[in-house]
Amino acid sequence: MRLSVLLVEDDRELRNTLREALAVEGYEVRTAASLSEGLALLQHTTVDLVLLDLSLPDGDGDTLLATLRRRQTTPLIVVSAREGEGQKVRLLDAGADDYLVKPFGVAELLARMRVALRHRGTQLRPSITRYARDGLSIDLAAREVQLDGAAVRLTPTEFNLLARLVRNAGQVVTHRQLLADVWGADFTAHTHYLRLYMGQLRAKLEREPAEPRLLLTEPGVGYRLAEPHDDEA
Amino acid sequence: MSRLGFWSPSLARRLGAGAGVWVLAWAAMATLDGQVGQVGLAGLAMLLVLASALATLWWPMAVSLTVTALSVLGFNWWFVPPRHTFAVDLRQDALLLGGMLAVSWVVAAVVARQRQLAEQARRLALQADQLRQLGDALRDTDDPVEQARPLHATLAALLQTPPTLLVLRGTLPAQDDPAAALIVGEHDAHVLSGLWHCTRQAQAFGPGTGRHADLPEWYLPLRGRQAAFGALRVGFAALAPPGDGVRVQAQALCDQMGLALQRAQVRREAADAQRQAQLQGLRNALLAAISHDYRTPLAAIMGAASSLQEQGERLSPAQRQRFAQSIVDETVQLGRLTDNTLQLARLDSPEVQLLLDWESAEELVGSVLQRARRHDPTRRVRARLEPGLPLVRCDAILLTQLLDNLIDNALKYSPAEAPVELLVRRQGEHIVFAVRDRGPGIAPGWRERVFEVFQRGEFAPHGGQRRGAGVGLAVCRAIARAHGGELKLRPRGHGGTSFECWLPAAPPPTIEEGSSCA
Repeated sequence: MRLSVLLVEDDRELRNTLREALAVEGYEVRTAASLSEGLALLQHTTVDLVLLDLSLPDGDGDTLLATLRRRQTTPLIVVSAREGEGQKVRLLDAGADDYLVKPFGVAELLARMRVALRHRGTQLRPSITRYARDGLSIDLAAREVQLDGAAVRLTPTEFNLLARLVRNAGQVVTHRQLLADVWGADFTAHTHYLRLYMGQLRAKLEREPAEPRLLLTEPGVGYRLAEPHDDEA
Repeated sequence: MSRLGFWSPSLARRLGAGAGVWVLAWAAMATLDGQVGQVGLAGLAMLLVLASALATLWWPMAVSLTVTALSVLGFNWWFVPPRHTFAVDLRQDALLLGGMLAVSWVVAAVVARQRQLAEQARRLALQADQLRQLGDALRDTDDPVEQARPLHATLAALLQTPPTLLVLRGTLPAQDDPAAALIVGEHDAHVLSGLWHCTRQAQAFGPGTGRHADLPEWYLPLRGRQAAFGALRVGFAALAPPGDGVRVQAQALCDQMGLALQRAQVRREAADAQRQAQLQGLRNALLAAISHDYRTPLAAIMGAASSLQEQGERLSPAQRQRFAQSIVDETVQLGRLTDNTLQLARLDSPEVQLLLDWESAEELVGSVLQRARRHDPTRRVRARLEPGLPLVRCDAILLTQLLDNLIDNALKYSPAEAPVELLVRRQGEHIVFAVRDRGPGIAPGWRERVFEVFQRGEFAPHGGQRRGAGVGLAVCRAIARAHGGELKLRPRGHGGTSFECWLPAAPPPTIEEGSSCA
């Protein structure tokens, strides 16, 4: 079955280009040029993924995100034009799965879509508990972390932080989400905790901590664990 | 004159002192009277004259004159023969009494006049001192509104009743708006509307001002040269209004404040005009940039895209790929130029807000490297971080933009095989991010100009027109300065340039023990 994508984008050129690029990849693409059109489409059809432009002629994209999140867990990727980093973080915290800054390449878009689709409906399916890439393998259920076959010892906090990233592997997780899930709701402003523990994790897991390939930083937004290699899992 | 009633404590003290002198004098006269043999009538009379002169030092003139006259009558009654009558036997005694009264009155009048003059001089000195102190305070402040409370206190002391003061914070609003003014002192709707009216009219109202003389209060404007910048209200409901001298002094203080407020407004307007001019300058520079820096990559994109469109089938697959790559590359450049231009305009605005957070230098460098690798397949960029660096208080997005630009420039302006280094070290109270290349260096005459908007160095290695530095370094410097730091350029020993971003090292946040219990 072909996966269906709803593309909400008011710019005609970008909308047509993306529609064709996605169609070539085998997606069934529905397009909407405004917020109301997008909401109407979501009312009557179900899609597997939503690509949402933030600034639409008849309102802001977060209305659609809020409506969607009230009812379903359909993955949603925000496409923003680099204005207001605060807005980006707010949307991620409100339930967007990822974001792309315009201009972006099709390859990058497809990669983000693949990750978002893999995480689709993790509430229903057994959630992701295994991760493997570049010699690092993580088994959350067994609480085991191995690098090149050798066990790595992590403190409980380090492990919890890593586990939170594994559950959203490939996707950006905001500072607020990480702090709330690992330390608790009172610690959402303590970004410096993240700096410290991410530094420790990189020192243990990265070959070159100054140039990480696994634990990636999204400046001003959060962290992203590099997409796992399926064949290594 | 005091407004707190005739019987002020100081007046009572002064009356007491005068009365004391008279009591002493009469006691002395009564005692000496028994020894008339030694002390003649003239001697006793001298005591009376002396007492009269001394009492005048404390007493108001009218009181002193009356008491002196009564005392002369009493002297006549008790001491001048025939005693216990007001009749006078001898002509010389009559002369004595008349002379005594005349001399006492003259002395009393002279002393009282002197006292009045001294009092006036003291008041003038006090008032001059008040004006001078206010003038000094206003000269030393950037915002005269800060002096509203001290002025209120000075006026309260002068008027001996707390007045209400309205001081405009900026220009006069079209509608009476409490937010547009600082109001010191008690006030109700009536007082407020009076203060606003007085400010708008820039005229004084109340007794002695020639306008609304029947009001039980004064409204005095804080006058600048053409308009008023606030107003003062003095209420004296049941009491008599103070004298004109007090009002003139209060008005002088108010006017001094008004002039200071006007000067401050002129300063603000000048600063605004200068900002506007700068903004206009930047806007012109942006327009100039659009005509060149934007058109050039657009031309390259247009060329490649139209060639693909028109000649698609006749191009070899390798040519098509090259054109497509050129479109992608030029678009990336355009994107960077747009980001930089927007950021520069944003940082130029006076109310720019940085999203400051604690950032790790390692992470900042890591994410910059991750992006740089896309344009750096041969891995020319190398990063080196001093171990144990503290967290940096900065806006992560801005700082990565700064480092991106520096690395992009370094890659572009140095030979293809030369390494580019990104070093982070601590130096005293600063964290230094240095991007160093082995390019041809920058000619001394250009070392300051490269930071100006849309200057493009003619220091490209092969003389070819290089693009993209137009706003890059200007925005880098703006970012460094927005963080309270600086971007410096240093030529390197064996050729090449080091761009160094110096950021102040802030005391790091504490990590609570046991917080990692989750």
